[in-house]
Amino acid sequence: MIQLIFFLAIGLGLFVALYFLMRPAASAQGSADELRNARLALNALQTGLLSGEVVHRIFAKEDLEYISEGPVEIRDMFLAERRRLALFWVAQMRLQILNLRKFHLGSARFHAGLKMRTEVRLAAEFLFLLFTCRLLWLALYLRGVYAAPAMVERATATAERVCAISETSLGFLNRSMDSLRNESVRNPTLS
Amino acid sequence: MERPLDRLIYLASTRDYNSGIYYHDGLAAQFTEEVASEALADCHRQAFHELLASPLKDLVSQFESYMESTPAQPKDFIATWKRIEPYRVAIPVNTDPLSADFLFSNFKIALAVLEARLQSHPKAEPGAWPLPSLGQ
Repeated sequence: MIQLIFFLAIGLGLFVALYFLMRPAASAQGSADELRNARLALNALQTGLLSGEVVHRIFAKEDLEYISEGPVEIRDMFLAERRRLALFWVAQMRLQILNLRKFHLGSARFHAGLKMRTEVRLAAEFLFLLFTCRLLWLALYLRGVYAAPAMVERATATAERVCAISETSLGFLNRSMDSLRNESVRNPTLS
Repeated sequence: MERPLDRLIYLASTRDYNSGIYYHDGLAAQFTEEVASEALADCHRQAFHELLASPLKDLVSQFESYMESTPAQPKDFIATWKRIEPYRVAIPVNTDPLSADFLFSNFKIALAVLEARLQSHPKAEPGAWPLPSLGQ
């Protein structure tokens, strides 16, 4: 009986070892997806959501001043449209920040040599940014597009800092892509 | 063409709906089809970004001038643009959703402004609201 338990324990041990040996293949696939999603999130933030001209124009008061000279119905329509756009902006920014955070929580440390201090700072920035996005969404929803201009500026500035650190973390991906591109130019049979 | 709106509409009309490639016989003859297409795409993107950065007052003024440059009656022009929304196919490819949505929203508001102006005062300074009537 003791022998049976002993061999069962060995069998279980081997099974557990097999499970852990199989795991890296699955996480490599997950890691590639995380990298891809992080790159897409970063692009979405840098080229659209944090692009100065659009964000500035959504919250620009000079448009409200101009519209306020006209009929009330058009002013109401303008305010409703701006609020819709502002809510869309915050929701999209939060979504992309969550994608970036997932990358940093998961596989960033395997690819980027971030210092412990930078990682802690980044974690704090993520926490602050996600909280600010929630608050901002609520403020815009309840009080309209011109409710919290200072919070918009803070959220944008923090998101830009997070993007800059993420850009460094994902820099190796650009370098790999560049070397692959150069290689394919030198050796056209590769492409 | 000075106005970004005119350029946006014109350049979008040189793009093939199916392939997304821009065509211009004159430019293609002078350079190559590929170079001409790339140059037109660049100009299209630039016009789009200029429009994005335009204040609403400026956009209304551009719309008004564009409307006057077409043979359509202002009333018909506004009704058609509101119904068909041709601006939705006039933006460059790979435009991010927020920028596209923002411009469409501004176009919608600009059309509403023009319509209101047309109803209360047929001719006024470009981009300006009509003077309030004595009853207001």
